[in-house]
Amino acid sequence: MEFFRKTLDPIIALAAIAVLDIFMFLLMGAWTVGGGETMMTGLVAQAVLGDELGRIPFWSIVFPPHADYWKIYISLGMLFGAFVGAVASKEFYLRVPRHLSEWVLITIGGLLMGFGIRLAYICNVSTFFGLMPEMNLGGYLAMSGIVAGAWVGSLIYKKLLERDV
Amino acid sequence: MTPIVECLVAFLFGSVAGLLMQRSRFCNTAALRDAIMFKTYRNTKAMLVAMMILTVGFTGFMSVGAGHPLQFDVGLNTFAGLFLFGIGMVLAGACTVSTWVKAGEGNIGALWALIFTFVGMFLFSLVWSASWWPPAPQTMTGQINAPALQLGFANAQTLQDKFGIPAIVFGLAQTAFLGLLYRGILRRERAQHAEHEKHQKEHQKKKAAAAAAVEA
Repeated sequence: MEFFRKTLDPIIALAAIAVLDIFMFLLMGAWTVGGGETMMTGLVAQAVLGDELGRIPFWSIVFPPHADYWKIYISLGMLFGAFVGAVASKEFYLRVPRHLSEWVLITIGGLLMGFGIRLAYICNVSTFFGLMPEMNLGGYLAMSGIVAGAWVGSLIYKKLLERDV
Repeated sequence: MTPIVECLVAFLFGSVAGLLMQRSRFCNTAALRDAIMFKTYRNTKAMLVAMMILTVGFTGFMSVGAGHPLQFDVGLNTFAGLFLFGIGMVLAGACTVSTWVKAGEGNIGALWALIFTFVGMFLFSLVWSASWWPPAPQTMTGQINAPALQLGFANAQTLQDKFGIPAIVFGLAQTAFLGLLYRGILRRERAQHAEHEKHQKEHQKKKAAAAAAVEA
């Protein structure tokens, strides 16, 4: 099938996702990532810690863990859709970072993303494809934050690249 | 809708979005990072197009009171959180969406980033439980709350209620602004292309001159 042989123009892909996102907005709410991950974190923490988790107020007040939270399934769907796309186009193979420095950067990056999402109550998807189109004040704050952060991140990244060279 | 139907709809949406992103190699991180670091705009343009469609769609439906806009107070934490996120996504080389997509393609580094995103969230839950900031959703007032560094809640709907102008009017203004940004990018790309062609022609001329000199 042609679709699995050629790379799709991202403008077409994102336009299609945007139209579907409008249906999501009408049914439940705009495309979001972060809430689902937090719920997954809570569910894993509950499985590991059991009733002890109740001693951390965040999990009883802000995010009581529930497996039937719809946002979890957007993320699992993305994993599934990408897996199907990769297998069908013969692009699925295990890629493992080779250098220790990559593992360190990914670890720090992941930690910052997780911490940042919860501090802001939103992630970048909600910023670009939820808050901004709803013209929410938070969208403009978040956009300024992520652009400034990406700029600082790029500076750090450039410095590291130069050092490696 | 029952929670199970909601979960099914969400899974279906996620699957289609994941498939389209995998096939198009779209990445939010690249949309910002590549524009900043490499002055290339493949992903930035796609992001802007989606934002324009969504702004018209969301504010259009909000004008008639339809849809489910996000409801929570924003403030300093919104800026600070996304600032940290912005640094993190560039270092990790992927945002939350592309980590899922890349993990689906078999990228172990992306899976590792996801695990540590979860760890980061858990760490924040501990920090929040000690600081109780930013305010929990239950205590959000929708108003400015200076001691908690909160600016309250405002979107196209509240603008419509306040000024009596339909939300779509504000939406169209934002879309026009995004359209101008898009046009600016196209101009820049054309200039880059022209510059590239000029360099290539000069290079070819030099090569031809050198070959002629060797022959002579």
